[in-house]
Amino acid sequence: MSTHIDLNDIQGNIVKGYGHFGYPKARYIFYRIKECKAGRQFVQDINPLITTGVAWEMTAQSGENSAPTATTNISFTYQGLKMLGVSRLSLQSFPEDFAMGMKERKDILGDDQTSSPQHWDQIWQGEAVHIWISINGKSEDVVEKRYQAICDILANTNQGVEQVLGHTGDQGETNLPYQSASVIYKNGKPQATEHFGYRDGISDPYFSAASGNPDRVIGGGKPTRGNPATKEGWEPLENGEFILGHRDEAFETPKAPQPPLLAFNGTFMVYRKLHENVGSFNKYMNEEGKKLEGGKELLAAKFSGRWRDSGAPLTQFPTEEEAKAFGDKLSAAEKKLYMEQPNPSAPTVAAYTKLRQQLVAFNYDHDLDGSRCPMGAHVRRINPRGALEDGKTAFNTPGALVNRRRILRRGLPYGEVKDESSNDGNHGIIFMVINASISRQFEFVQQQWINYGNDFKLANEKDPLLGNHNCQADGGGKMILPNDPKGDKPPHFCAGIPRFVETRGGDYFFVPSLTALHMLAEGIVDPT
Amino acid sequence: MSNIAGKSYAMNVVTPAKWYLTWLNKLFFGFVQLPGGAAYLKGLLTLSLIHYARWAIVSPKQFPHLDPSQPKETIKYSYMFFFSNFNGSWAQYVDSFHTAIPGGLDLFWTKNVKYPKSVPLQPFHAYITYNQVWTNHYYNAYPLASSNDVKNAQHLSGKLRAFNDVHSNDDPQDFQQAYNALLLEVQGAISIMEPTPIISLSAQAVEERLSHESEVNSA
Repeated sequence: MSTHIDLNDIQGNIVKGYGHFGYPKARYIFYRIKECKAGRQFVQDINPLITTGVAWEMTAQSGENSAPTATTNISFTYQGLKMLGVSRLSLQSFPEDFAMGMKERKDILGDDQTSSPQHWDQIWQGEAVHIWISINGKSEDVVEKRYQAICDILANTNQGVEQVLGHTGDQGETNLPYQSASVIYKNGKPQATEHFGYRDGISDPYFSAASGNPDRVIGGGKPTRGNPATKEGWEPLENGEFILGHRDEAFETPKAPQPPLLAFNGTFMVYRKLHENVGSFNKYMNEEGKKLEGGKELLAAKFSGRWRDSGAPLTQFPTEEEAKAFGDKLSAAEKKLYMEQPNPSAPTVAAYTKLRQQLVAFNYDHDLDGSRCPMGAHVRRINPRGALEDGKTAFNTPGALVNRRRILRRGLPYGEVKDESSNDGNHGIIFMVINASISRQFEFVQQQWINYGNDFKLANEKDPLLGNHNCQADGGGKMILPNDPKGDKPPHFCAGIPRFVETRGGDYFFVPSLTALHMLAEGIVDPT
Repeated sequence: MSNIAGKSYAMNVVTPAKWYLTWLNKLFFGFVQLPGGAAYLKGLLTLSLIHYARWAIVSPKQFPHLDPSQPKETIKYSYMFFFSNFNGSWAQYVDSFHTAIPGGLDLFWTKNVKYPKSVPLQPFHAYITYNQVWTNHYYNAYPLASSNDVKNAQHLSGKLRAFNDVHSNDDPQDFQQAYNALLLEVQGAISIMEPTPIISLSAQAVEERLSHESEVNSA
């Protein structure tokens, strides 16, 4: 079967994490449709602004870079499709998870206690939003310019479509008109980290249609039984895991809404605003870190599976010294690459690529007991890389229990940490997921791998960083950090882990193809 | 009525097979129990969400005729009864079989009527759903325990008893050392048991209705 995909027909946010492509600023804007015709007019007028998946260098004429200064993408909730006049027959062919929306799925997602919908931003309190629009830009100015262009289009609907206010902001505002997001700047320099200080967005699944460097299959594809440090160790995931209408890992086209042309080249997106309790995190690291031989940085690495500064995987770099030596080499290579832009020399690129690969080109076969990277560490949970086979050649493929659970992560940090010892304020991550099935991919990972531990033989142990640890006074999460079974040190027990991450809102969206957007705008979706 | 109790799901699937072909299924059942067939069982055993899985074939003549007054039935097929209890959702279980041991599955069900093969997934889902017998009553003595939890607890309990026998009268320093060694030895088996995450909103609704009704009745 062909793995060719028409990238002109696919929205750009599916194949590109804009943050990694030099678009550090973003806004997410939500709308409600009051009147069907105005809604369709709005979609029609937005269409020319939509960024497709076409690789920018491919369309470059005579060496000019074709990348736009700002990008725009659009998606719809179930209620949004309904307001656009999509017929009941078609609506009923959409999956239950999407039709219900995120708020109603709170028990599946573990959005309880401080994460429950009553604590979400104002915008999520009333009836569902209908449309999500994103703008990513190289600077705040171009984002603002694109935003104004969209405001003009909105004005043409004569209130037939309204922008939904109600985002919480940095100064305590509760009624902002959009959600801003941005990479974090330190001393004016952009950082690759989120607010806890972890280098983020290192590993994203690699699938056949993914634009970009084919070497990214290493560590990003699905595991084979080959050497994980080489291309032989990995194969691209099937496109159908992320894009409807194409073959998936079950050797079929995924279940999709009707008519087929509405779903073809579309996908589903999860939008979540996740607040980070920086004060609790720093306090726990400082206090518990004192009890652990190796200290605070080792504890932070045991929780995540990667060292905070460099992102070096713990299973490959078990000591802080090794991680630091690697991190220094990586940042030197990054700096060199940056200095030589726009035309870096081949050896500079090769040196950087080789180091970058070490962040992802590994598995856990030599660490089955978890004495280096615990089974319960964040990155080992959300991408076990074949470790669920327990090191045996037991399954049809080492990725048997993993390949159908991969998600593309999109999004950026938001807000600013003003006081590192406080949880208060408005800062976290706008976390977005692209997947062909919200329940099979995102919800499964969230429920079974983040808020539970049975697949890792850890009973009810949760992801230490993202898990919905009990917030009651006597609550808190627990985690065992295994030690080398051949050594003489007992495992370390972490108790009373506070809830570090809280949900502040979100919903489920359908991301149509460019063709389907035209169909929606023209009102010609007919499944019969 | 629910197939779910605590952390467990009970699945019963009854599939017809032509009586003159079931020797193939039986041959495979016998084969996997021989040393050479262990590879097929290894996949099954590594799927740690499974409590147990059992296949039984009942030929037309074996169906019970309890009393002369029971009308005689004409049974055309042999039937393969598949029973399994597992942790997690229906989809997690069926999909795990489909991705982890598709070859073994196709041999277990080999020539059964209209068996579509385990790959691709949607026809296989349809086959299981069509032939599944839903559970009306399902009792679970340990609703907080998954099969991994039970195995870990058994391991831990054995080690702890043996430790007690040997070290209960040690002096504090020796005890501490021995205890640390014990912790290291059993580190993979220590865990926290709490209620299951909610895997099905429908099952949750049934559970809430029943517990509400039982509260009302006992009030």
